[in-house]
Amino acid sequence: MNRQTAVAVPGMPVASLRRWLAPLAWLSLLLLLTAGMTHLEWLFRLIEPDTRQVIYRRAGFFTLLAQHVLVVGAASLLAVTLGVGAAVAVTRTAGRDFLPMVSQLASIGQTFPPVAVLALAVPALGFGTLPIIVALLLYGLLPIVRNTLAGIDGIDPEVREAARGMGMTAGQILRQVELPLAAPVILAGIRTSVTINIATAALGATVGASNLGDPIISGIVNGNTAYIVQGALLIGLLALCVDSTFDRMQRRPDA
Amino acid sequence: MIELFDVTKRFGSETAVDGISLRVEKGELCALVGTSGCGKSTTLRMINRLIEHDGGEIHLDGQPVRNFDEVELRRRIGYVIQSTGLFPHWTVARNIGLVPRLLRWPKARVRERVEELMHLLGLSVAEFAGKYPRQLSGGQAQRVGVARALAADPDILLMDEPFGALDPITRETLQQEMRELQARLHKTVVFVTHDMDEALALADRLVVMHQGRIVQQGKPIELLHEPANPFVESLLGGLDRGLKEAALIQVSERMLPLGPRLLASERIPYGAPLSQALSVMLWHRVDRLTVVDEEDIPIGELSLRRLLGAKTS
Repeated sequence: MNRQTAVAVPGMPVASLRRWLAPLAWLSLLLLLTAGMTHLEWLFRLIEPDTRQVIYRRAGFFTLLAQHVLVVGAASLLAVTLGVGAAVAVTRTAGRDFLPMVSQLASIGQTFPPVAVLALAVPALGFGTLPIIVALLLYGLLPIVRNTLAGIDGIDPEVREAARGMGMTAGQILRQVELPLAAPVILAGIRTSVTINIATAALGATVGASNLGDPIISGIVNGNTAYIVQGALLIGLLALCVDSTFDRMQRRPDA
Repeated sequence: MIELFDVTKRFGSETAVDGISLRVEKGELCALVGTSGCGKSTTLRMINRLIEHDGGEIHLDGQPVRNFDEVELRRRIGYVIQSTGLFPHWTVARNIGLVPRLLRWPKARVRERVEELMHLLGLSVAEFAGKYPRQLSGGQAQRVGVARALAADPDILLMDEPFGALDPITRETLQQEMRELQARLHKTVVFVTHDMDEALALADRLVVMHQGRIVQQGKPIELLHEPANPFVESLLGGLDRGLKEAALIQVSERMLPLGPRLLASERIPYGAPLSQALSVMLWHRVDRLTVVDEEDIPIGELSLRRLLGAKTS
């Protein structure tokens, strides 16, 4: 018994390293490109041979990346808290009456185009980061609410019945049974929400929230395709990086 | 001891349980039998307050169940359901240790108790402790379900068709194990089933329910001999009643000591039911069997006339 454990332990980090290989690969590619974009001038010259400046220089790519991550992170954190919280609240006995309302509200949030939200949010909140966070929050809420509802709804009622019958309190059932069992479905919702928002956040550049959308907007305005490609490349890599991380998280080691 | 006094439960305009009174003595296994929708499950679930009763009173050891905190009440009562209700994301060991952990037993004691129960239910700790419910067969999962219900050593056990979803062979094995377990543990058990053979095999007291009321209750043999009405009679097997009764009586109760005659060639264990002895006689076309003990040593004989209950041999 002891021998087996002794053999298994050194094997563990290797196995988990292999599991995280894809996200790590995307991450290193993202960081490498962010750091080395200026060295690729010759490459972007091929796209824009006639323009004087082919590398976006108004802000460092690292700064833009950090701001992008921050905006998406803040919006997603809020969306997860609100989305999971609301979905859990309306699946309790006390909150059942609000279930249709909440799922409808979340649907409306997604039918509203983020550009329209931005246009409405700017007069109310001013230029900058706040309106884009609000837009992303509203846009990202639906997949999280919908999946949390589906995840909790999909739990075998007999399991919940047994949990009650064993003498678990409502809080214990939620934390130890419902949320862990619904976790894969909830995680899938968060994954969709965050991935979409990484792309949508680029719109923030139009309202003065500087992020990886800056080179894209600037490229469109100035007719500089190289700028657009630089912004799009980094956003794409960031999305792949986050998406593959979620992919690994959803695959349980025991499954 | 569990007592129900004139207990009623209505769902909307429908009366599911209609003024039933029942007393289950300490250490007694009471089977609630009836067709589906007769209110037997509802009755069971009112005892641990998964369903609240509308009228009457339910007492545990003389105390109304409403006086207990419902969560604490349920932790004191073992509960087994047909679908097992095991948590799919927990291992077997963690599932069994649930109630002791809820009661904040020290870790070492929970572990010890889990292993003790796995031994009791015939589950090898090395093989099963780390397995997940989906890796178990139906019979194994239900053993885990019973172990989980027994974990905190409750005095009372509520079982809702625990073996109903199992194949006949596994079901019979588990019934046999349940009988042995009950002989050792002497829990106060309320057992819901629609399978009359199961009820007859396990119950000290049989309660027949129909449309929310108790039609008849008593010892299994009493009900067999004097069914209160045609419904009970048909539930008890109608013309098959003779065989059902024979299934309740052991060979040892009817056998005679070995006589001067030669041993009969066919043998029957002394603990077997008379129905089995009859079957052996029918099969081999004989009217006399040699009764043997566990080591297959002849200890007596059983003739067809004795089996039928005739006074002289």
